[in-house]
Amino acid sequence: MAIDYSSRNGTPDERVEAPGPRLPASAPELDPGAPTDLELMHAIQKEDPEALSVLYDRYNGILKALILRVIHNEAEADDLLQEIFMEIWKQAKNFSAQKGKPLGWMVTLARRRAIDGLRKKQAYTRAGERLQSETEQQPDAWVHNATEEEITFGDTRILVRRVIDTLPVAQQEAINLAFFRGMSQREIAAKTNTPLGTVKTRLELGLKKIYDGLKELRDEL
Amino acid sequence: MSFEEFQNRARLYVIGALEADETEAFEQARKKFGQKAEDFIADCYSMHEAFALSLRPAKSSEALKERLMSMVRNRQKT
Repeated sequence: MAIDYSSRNGTPDERVEAPGPRLPASAPELDPGAPTDLELMHAIQKEDPEALSVLYDRYNGILKALILRVIHNEAEADDLLQEIFMEIWKQAKNFSAQKGKPLGWMVTLARRRAIDGLRKKQAYTRAGERLQSETEQQPDAWVHNATEEEITFGDTRILVRRVIDTLPVAQQEAINLAFFRGMSQREIAAKTNTPLGTVKTRLELGLKKIYDGLKELRDEL
Repeated sequence: MSFEEFQNRARLYVIGALEADETEAFEQARKKFGQKAEDFIADCYSMHEAFALSLRPAKSSEALKERLMSMVRNRQKT
Protein backbone atom coordinates (compact mmCIF):
# COMPACT_ATOMS: atom_id res chain seq x y z
CA MET A 1 0.00 0.00 0.00
CA ALA A 2 1.39 3.39 -0.96
CA ILE A 3 1.89 6.01 1.69
CA ASP A 4 0.30 9.41 1.31
CA TYR A 5 3.12 11.85 2.09
CA SER A 6 1.05 14.95 1.53
CA SER A 7 0.51 15.31 5.26
CA ARG A 8 3.96 15.11 6.74
CA ASN A 9 3.71 16.56 10.19
CA GLY A 10 3.23 15.06 13.55
CA THR A 11 4.64 11.90 14.83
CA PRO A 12 4.49 8.65 16.02
CA ASP A 13 2.97 5.44 16.10
CA GLU A 14 0.21 5.96 18.56
CA ARG A 15 -2.17 4.74 15.88
CA VAL A 16 -0.19 1.59 15.53
CA GLU A 17 -0.43 -1.29 17.89
CA ALA A 18 2.63 -1.44 20.07
CA PRO A 19 4.04 -4.78 21.13
CA GLY A 20 3.00 -4.68 24.73
CA PRO A 21 2.96 -1.72 27.08
CA ARG A 22 5.59 0.94 26.65
CA LEU A 23 6.49 4.04 28.52
CA PRO A 24 4.84 7.10 27.07
CA ALA A 25 7.73 8.47 25.26
CA SER A 26 6.38 11.04 23.29
CA ALA A 27 4.17 11.53 20.68
CA PRO A 28 3.18 14.86 19.47
CA GLU A 29 -0.01 14.69 17.57
CA LEU A 30 -0.11 13.29 14.12
CA ASP A 31 -1.85 15.27 11.42
CA PRO A 32 -4.77 13.40 9.92
CA GLY A 33 -3.47 11.21 7.14
CA ALA A 34 0.19 11.62 8.05
CA PRO A 35 2.12 8.35 7.93
CA THR A 36 3.06 6.92 11.30
CA ASP A 37 6.69 6.38 12.25
CA LEU A 38 6.21 2.67 11.81
CA GLU A 39 4.78 3.11 8.32
CA LEU A 40 7.76 5.30 7.46
CA MET A 41 10.19 2.70 8.77
CA HIS A 42 8.54 0.01 6.70
CA ALA A 43 8.76 2.25 3.63
CA ILE A 44 12.44 2.94 4.35
CA GLN A 45 12.99 -0.79 4.60
CA LYS A 46 11.64 -0.89 1.06
CA GLU A 47 14.13 1.86 0.12
CA ASP A 48 11.64 4.67 -0.34
CA PRO A 49 13.67 7.92 -0.03
CA GLU A 50 10.55 10.03 0.48
CA ALA A 51 9.87 8.15 3.69
CA LEU A 52 13.34 9.07 4.95
CA SER A 53 12.68 12.65 3.96
CA VAL A 54 9.51 12.73 6.06
CA LEU A 55 11.22 11.03 8.97
CA TYR A 56 14.04 13.56 8.73
CA ASP A 57 11.61 16.47 8.80
CA ARG A 58 9.91 14.98 11.81
CA TYR A 59 12.92 14.16 13.95
CA ASN A 60 16.04 15.98 12.81
CA GLY A 61 15.53 18.63 15.47
CA ILE A 62 15.19 16.15 18.30
CA LEU A 63 18.15 14.07 17.18
CA LYS A 64 20.33 17.11 16.60
CA ALA A 65 19.47 18.40 20.07
CA LEU A 66 20.53 15.05 21.47
CA ILE A 67 23.80 15.08 19.52
CA LEU A 68 24.52 18.66 20.53
CA ARG A 69 23.93 17.74 24.12
CA VAL A 70 26.70 15.17 23.80
CA ILE A 71 29.28 16.92 21.66
CA HIS A 72 28.54 20.65 22.05
CA ASN A 73 29.71 21.53 18.56
CA GLU A 74 27.33 22.71 15.87
CA ALA A 75 29.39 21.68 12.82
CA GLU A 76 30.22 18.26 14.24
CA ALA A 77 26.58 17.81 15.22
CA ASP A 78 25.48 18.48 11.64
CA ASP A 79 28.01 15.99 10.29
CA LEU A 80 26.90 13.37 12.78
CA LEU A 81 23.24 14.03 12.09
CA GLN A 82 23.82 13.35 8.42
CA GLU A 83 25.75 10.18 9.23
CA ILE A 84 23.03 9.02 11.57
CA PHE A 85 20.26 9.46 9.01
CA MET A 86 22.41 7.59 6.50
CA GLU A 87 22.77 4.84 9.07
CA ILE A 88 19.01 4.85 9.61
CA TRP A 89 18.64 4.41 5.86
CA LYS A 90 21.18 1.59 5.72
CA GLN A 91 20.22 -0.15 8.96
CA ALA A 92 16.45 0.17 8.70
CA LYS A 93 16.23 -3.51 7.84
CA ASN A 94 17.48 -4.26 11.35
CA PHE A 95 14.65 -2.36 12.97
CA SER A 96 12.01 -4.53 14.56
CA ALA A 97 8.77 -3.13 15.92
CA GLN A 98 8.74 -6.02 18.37
CA LYS A 99 11.63 -4.43 20.22
CA GLY A 100 10.29 -0.92 20.45
CA LYS A 101 9.25 2.19 18.63
CA PRO A 102 11.12 3.75 15.71
CA LEU A 103 11.95 6.88 17.70
CA GLY A 104 13.48 4.82 20.50
CA TRP A 105 15.59 2.94 17.96
CA MET A 106 16.74 6.17 16.34
CA VAL A 107 17.54 7.84 19.65
CA THR A 108 19.52 4.83 20.82
CA LEU A 109 21.44 4.81 17.55
CA ALA A 110 22.05 8.57 17.62
CA ARG A 111 23.19 8.55 21.22
CA ARG A 112 25.63 5.72 20.60
CA ARG A 113 27.06 7.44 17.54
CA ALA A 114 27.34 10.77 19.32
CA ILE A 115 29.13 9.26 22.30
CA ASP A 116 31.43 7.28 19.98
CA GLY A 117 32.13 10.48 18.08
CA LEU A 118 32.89 12.30 21.27
CA ARG A 119 35.40 9.69 22.32
CA LYS A 120 37.01 9.34 18.92
CA LYS A 121 37.65 13.01 18.62
CA GLN A 122 39.15 13.04 22.08
CA ALA A 123 37.05 16.02 22.87
CA TYR A 124 35.98 14.32 26.05
CA THR A 125 38.04 16.38 28.41
CA ARG A 126 37.35 19.70 26.76
CA ALA A 127 33.62 19.02 26.53
CA GLY A 128 33.64 17.81 30.10
CA GLU A 129 35.13 21.08 31.20
CA ARG A 130 32.47 22.91 29.28
CA LEU A 131 29.81 20.71 30.82
CA GLN A 132 31.20 21.35 34.27
CA SER A 133 31.12 25.04 33.61
CA GLU A 134 27.56 24.83 32.38
CA THR A 135 26.52 22.71 35.30
CA GLU A 136 28.02 25.14 37.76
CA GLN A 137 26.21 28.00 36.13
CA GLN A 138 23.01 26.07 35.78
CA PRO A 139 22.83 23.21 38.29
CA ASP A 140 19.81 21.70 36.66
CA ALA A 141 21.53 21.34 33.32
CA TRP A 142 18.54 19.66 31.74
CA VAL A 143 16.35 22.65 32.29
CA HIS A 144 16.80 25.10 29.53
CA ASN A 145 14.53 26.90 27.17
CA ALA A 146 11.56 25.68 29.11
CA THR A 147 9.61 28.67 27.91
CA GLU A 148 10.48 28.30 24.24
CA GLU A 149 8.40 25.37 23.27
CA GLU A 150 8.10 24.60 19.64
CA ILE A 151 4.61 23.77 18.58
CA THR A 152 5.29 20.21 17.60
CA PHE A 153 7.11 18.84 20.59
CA GLY A 154 6.31 21.49 23.15
CA ASP A 155 3.65 19.71 25.14
CA THR A 156 5.55 16.46 25.17
CA ARG A 157 8.70 18.17 26.33
CA ILE A 158 6.89 19.97 29.12
CA LEU A 159 5.36 16.73 30.35
CA VAL A 160 8.64 14.85 30.25
CA ARG A 161 10.43 17.78 31.87
CA ARG A 162 7.92 17.80 34.69
CA VAL A 163 8.89 14.24 35.48
CA ILE A 164 12.62 14.96 35.34
CA ASP A 165 12.25 18.15 37.35
CA THR A 166 10.95 16.21 40.32
CA LEU A 167 14.43 14.73 40.80
CA PRO A 168 16.98 16.27 43.14
CA VAL A 169 19.70 18.09 41.23
CA ALA A 170 22.35 15.51 42.21
CA GLN A 171 20.29 12.72 40.67
CA GLN A 172 19.68 14.73 37.53
CA GLU A 173 23.38 15.43 37.23
CA ALA A 174 24.30 11.76 37.60
CA ILE A 175 21.78 10.71 34.97
CA ASN A 176 22.80 13.55 32.72
CA LEU A 177 26.45 12.47 32.84
CA ALA A 178 25.57 8.83 32.27
CA PHE A 179 23.07 9.31 29.47
CA PHE A 180 24.37 12.33 27.60
CA ARG A 181 28.09 11.86 28.24
CA GLY A 182 28.24 8.09 28.29
CA MET A 183 30.08 8.08 31.60
CA SER A 184 30.37 5.01 33.79
CA GLN A 185 29.52 5.13 37.48
CA ARG A 186 33.22 5.32 38.31
CA GLU A 187 33.78 8.18 35.89
CA ILE A 188 30.84 10.06 37.36
CA ALA A 189 32.19 9.43 40.86
CA ALA A 190 35.57 10.80 39.86
CA LYS A 191 34.14 13.77 38.01
CA THR A 192 31.78 14.81 40.78
CA ASN A 193 34.11 13.81 43.61
CA THR A 194 31.39 11.61 45.03
CA PRO A 195 31.67 8.11 46.52
CA LEU A 196 30.90 5.38 44.00
CA GLY A 197 28.10 3.98 46.17
CA THR A 198 26.43 7.38 46.28
CA VAL A 199 26.59 7.69 42.50
CA LYS A 200 25.02 4.26 42.13
CA THR A 201 22.23 5.18 44.53
CA ARG A 202 21.59 8.47 42.76
CA LEU A 203 21.37 6.77 39.40
CA GLU A 204 19.12 3.99 40.65
CA LEU A 205 16.76 6.29 42.52
CA GLY A 206 16.68 8.88 39.78
CA LEU A 207 16.04 6.42 37.00
CA LYS A 208 13.34 4.68 39.00
CA LYS A 209 11.59 7.98 39.61
CA ILE A 210 11.76 8.86 35.92
CA TYR A 211 10.57 5.41 34.90
CA ASP A 212 7.68 5.50 37.38
CA GLY A 213 6.85 9.09 36.49
CA LEU A 214 6.69 8.31 32.81
CA LYS A 215 4.47 5.35 33.50
CA GLU A 216 2.10 7.55 35.47
CA LEU A 217 2.14 9.99 32.62
CA ARG A 218 1.21 7.24 30.23
CA ASP A 219 -1.63 6.17 32.47
CA GLU A 220 -2.92 9.72 32.62
CA LEU A 221 -2.75 10.05 28.87
CA MET B 1 19.13 -11.22 42.64
CA SER B 2 15.49 -10.33 43.22
CA PHE B 3 13.39 -9.00 40.36
CA GLU B 4 13.34 -5.59 42.01
CA GLU B 5 17.14 -5.56 42.07
CA PHE B 6 17.13 -6.70 38.47
CA GLN B 7 14.86 -3.79 37.57
CA ASN B 8 17.24 -1.33 39.21
CA ARG B 9 20.15 -2.80 37.28
CA ALA B 10 18.18 -2.88 34.04
CA ARG B 11 17.56 0.85 34.21
CA LEU B 12 21.31 1.37 34.56
CA TYR B 13 22.01 -1.15 31.81
CA VAL B 14 19.92 0.61 29.17
CA ILE B 15 21.79 3.87 29.65
CA GLY B 16 25.12 2.07 29.63
CA ALA B 17 25.88 2.84 33.26
CA LEU B 18 26.25 -0.71 34.51
CA GLU B 19 29.80 -1.35 35.67
CA ALA B 20 31.69 -4.29 34.22
CA ASP B 21 31.72 -6.13 37.53
CA GLU B 22 27.91 -5.86 37.73
CA THR B 23 27.28 -7.13 34.24
CA GLU B 24 27.79 -10.84 34.89
CA ALA B 25 25.26 -10.96 37.73
CA PHE B 26 22.88 -8.91 35.63
CA GLU B 27 23.13 -11.27 32.68
CA GLN B 28 22.56 -14.27 34.95
CA ALA B 29 19.44 -12.66 36.39
CA ARG B 30 18.32 -11.77 32.89
CA LYS B 31 18.44 -15.43 31.94
CA LYS B 32 16.73 -16.45 35.16
CA PHE B 33 13.79 -14.08 34.68
CA GLY B 34 13.49 -14.85 30.95
CA GLN B 35 10.82 -13.08 28.93
CA LYS B 36 9.74 -10.99 31.89
CA ALA B 37 13.25 -9.58 32.01
CA GLU B 38 13.36 -8.95 28.26
CA ASP B 39 10.03 -7.14 28.37
CA PHE B 40 11.23 -4.95 31.20
CA ILE B 41 14.47 -4.09 29.43
CA ALA B 42 12.57 -3.20 26.25
CA ASP B 43 10.31 -0.97 28.30
CA CYS B 44 13.31 0.72 29.89
CA TYR B 45 14.65 1.68 26.47
CA SER B 46 11.65 3.96 26.13
CA MET B 47 13.43 6.21 28.59
CA HIS B 48 15.82 7.05 25.76
CA GLU B 49 12.96 8.63 23.87
CA ALA B 50 11.89 10.56 26.92
CA PHE B 51 15.39 11.92 27.53
CA ALA B 52 15.66 13.05 23.93
CA LEU B 53 12.22 14.59 23.99
CA SER B 54 13.10 16.53 27.11
CA LEU B 55 15.43 18.63 24.96
CA ARG B 56 14.45 21.60 22.87
CA PRO B 57 14.75 20.62 19.19
CA ALA B 58 17.72 22.16 17.41
CA LYS B 59 17.55 23.59 13.92
CA SER B 60 19.38 22.06 10.98
CA SER B 61 20.03 23.66 7.65
CA GLU B 62 18.05 22.79 4.57
CA ALA B 63 21.38 22.18 2.82
CA LEU B 64 22.11 19.34 5.20
CA LYS B 65 18.91 17.60 4.25
CA GLU B 66 19.59 18.15 0.56
CA ARG B 67 23.04 16.56 0.97
CA LEU B 68 21.56 13.63 2.82
CA MET B 69 18.85 13.00 0.26
CA SER B 70 21.35 13.34 -2.55
CA MET B 71 23.56 10.72 -0.91
CA VAL B 72 20.58 8.41 -0.47
CA ARG B 73 19.50 8.75 -4.10
CA ASN B 74 23.04 8.27 -5.36
CA ARG B 75 23.32 5.16 -3.26
CA GLN B 76 20.12 3.86 -4.81
CA LYS B 77 21.51 4.33 -8.31
CA THR B 78 24.59 2.25 -7.64
